[in-house]
Amino acid sequence: MDISMETVQGKMVITPAGDVDMHSSPALREAILGQTGQKAAALIVDFSSVSYIDSSGIATLVEGLKVMNTYGGRLQLTGMTEDILEIFRFSKLDTIFEICGDMSDALGR
Amino acid sequence: MKDSAVITIPADAKYLCVLRSVTSKMAELSGLGNGEIEEVVHAVDEACSNSIKYACRGDSSKEIAVTFHFNDASFNVTIEDTGIKTDPDAIRGRDLDDVRPGGLGVHFIHKAFDVVSFDERKEEGNRLRLVRHRKEHR
Repeated sequence: MDISMETVQGKMVITPAGDVDMHSSPALREAILGQTGQKAAALIVDFSSVSYIDSSGIATLVEGLKVMNTYGGRLQLTGMTEDILEIFRFSKLDTIFEICGDMSDALGR
Repeated sequence: MKDSAVITIPADAKYLCVLRSVTSKMAELSGLGNGEIEEVVHAVDEACSNSIKYACRGDSSKEIAVTFHFNDASFNVTIEDTGIKTDPDAIRGRDLDDVRPGGLGVHFIHKAFDVVSFDERKEEGNRLRLVRHRKEHR
């Protein structure tokens, strides 16, 4: 899995590409916690190039959210496929995370 | 055995993508629909991730064998590892309202399969049996 990172309109955008599973989720964790370690105020994880996420990937996002909540940071998720959205709904995480329709939606909020 | 296949992978997470591909194709061959295929792929991935993490403890010299078999009544998967014996009672998902990292994999497995049972007759390692009944039998 490749991960790219760039700042867009003052928000750090993390874009993983590929499947997020037990093998690749440590890299995503490192990217997210690298930002939260610097107390990034706004983080967007763009899933538009991700077709699969397992429970380890979800755990990584929950961990990131919990850390950001401790200092008032904002974590947004965007670009999810319907399959990935369904996983979040089933896990009751769709109400916990700020899930945006697309990148312009996430940047505009 | 008709309509069956076996894949053996090292207990290494980098092979999970191979397993997902095979699971997807076997589910497709069995006649499961799109939403159903995604569910069983996710569940088999989670079950094998558990084998790698908890039974094999990341020892990639160990192996995981996954057997697929389907018929008119069900889609069946058996996952066998050569790792440490797992206590079935110790495997519980977290309360979905208790938001914290971890504890979701078991929920995904039970969502996809009607029968989730460890074969306690297996003396060394673990054998997990998963059965998804056809839609008309669920």
